Amino acid sequence: MASTPARTPGGLLEQATDRTLVERCVDGDTRAFQVLITRYGRMMKAYAMRLTRSAADADDVVQEALISAWKRIDTLDDGSMVKSWLMRIVSRRAIDLMRQRKDTESTDDAIIEAPEHDGPERKAEASSQLGALSAALDRLPAGQQQAWVLREIGGYSYEEIAEQLGQTVASVRGSLARARATLVREMEGWR
Amino acid sequence: MNDDETGSEQLAPGGCAHGIDALSDYLDHDMQPADPTIDDSPECQRVLRSLRRVRSLAAPLLAADEAAVTTLDQDWIRGIMENIGREAKAGRDIPFAAADDSAALVITEGTVRGLVRGAGDRTPGILVGRCVLLGDVAVPGEPITLRVTVSIGWGRSVAEAVAQFREEVATSLRQHTDLVVAGLDIVIDDLHFDADEDDAEDDAETAEGTADHE
Repeated sequence: MASTPARTPGGLLEQATDRTLVERCVDGDTRAFQVLITRYGRMMKAYAMRLTRSAADADDVVQEALISAWKRIDTLDDGSMVKSWLMRIVSRRAIDLMRQRKDTESTDDAIIEAPEHDGPERKAEASSQLGALSAALDRLPAGQQQAWVLREIGGYSYEEIAEQLGQTVASVRGSLARARATLVREMEGWR
Repeated sequence: MNDDETGSEQLAPGGCAHGIDALSDYLDHDMQPADPTIDDSPECQRVLRSLRRVRSLAAPLLAADEAAVTTLDQDWIRGIMENIGREAKAGRDIPFAAADDSAALVITEGTVRGLVRGAGDRTPGILVGRCVLLGDVAVPGEPITLRVTVSIGWGRSVAEAVAQFREEVATSLRQHTDLVVAGLDIVIDDLHFDADEDDAEDDAETAEGTADHE
């Protein structure tokens, strides 16, 4: 929730549709952009956390994604598509960051290490089916988890995932097949 | 159907003759064209069901993750707002007719748009989207046309809201600019739930800070 609701006598700017907010942003209305952040920032962060497995990295990724979105929001043809557009920018940024990491680090231990997002909320859902999936995803190698998240949450095609991850389509297929096999096996008990 | 070597054949699960990759493709294509070797195999059907179930949990997982991100850090938001605030979208300079040659006085297009949005914000049931200034604004006294898209609150009288909005725009521009507005074209391109309407249930959260209890 933003610090102060953008109250206007005519109504709350919070009530504006995505399309109206995007139009206002194109015209330079930063208040409208703040409403978009309030509306989708948490979802963007959740997505970035799945891709980077780090709350701090997710914050950076979403911040960069939002700043870049503001700069080129006039390229968005249909304002009602802003949510998926923002999510797309997030995944690109997140994958770029992960790839940079991989290039600069001598071992990839740091990438595969246990994710840090296991706050109280996570523990509370550990007994649920979703909690089981969440935990199973966290145990996957980073590359497999990213491929799965891009496919099933991001809705990308195999070709798009290959392009983003800098891999061949065959290699993405392999990662996805292994991820799915593991997830299906680990979710057996939740039938 | 793709049957290239992906190394996933060894992942053929639980007695099903097909690899998980092939089964995923089958699922992606809504089980078309039908493959009896999959459809008639209880083992393959079991794997298909599991794949479908895991897939169906993806969207709820993101929703649960989102709910777990309880708040966005205010400093973090402020950092973004400060950054984008430097990316001004000022547009063209509009000179005042009264300004003499030695000291130019201009108002930016972006400011005029802000005035028009403000006029909308003061009008019940109106939210301004885009505002485009058509005409040569750089020439003082040159008539220009404003083309404004607006969203109307559900249940509002369009005629009343638009009439009041026209008044607000005219007053505001007269007060703050020298623009000669030949026309104000209004395009209603959206509808929104109006915070002032008491039947807008999903407003409960956002409105609670300002709600006055009877």
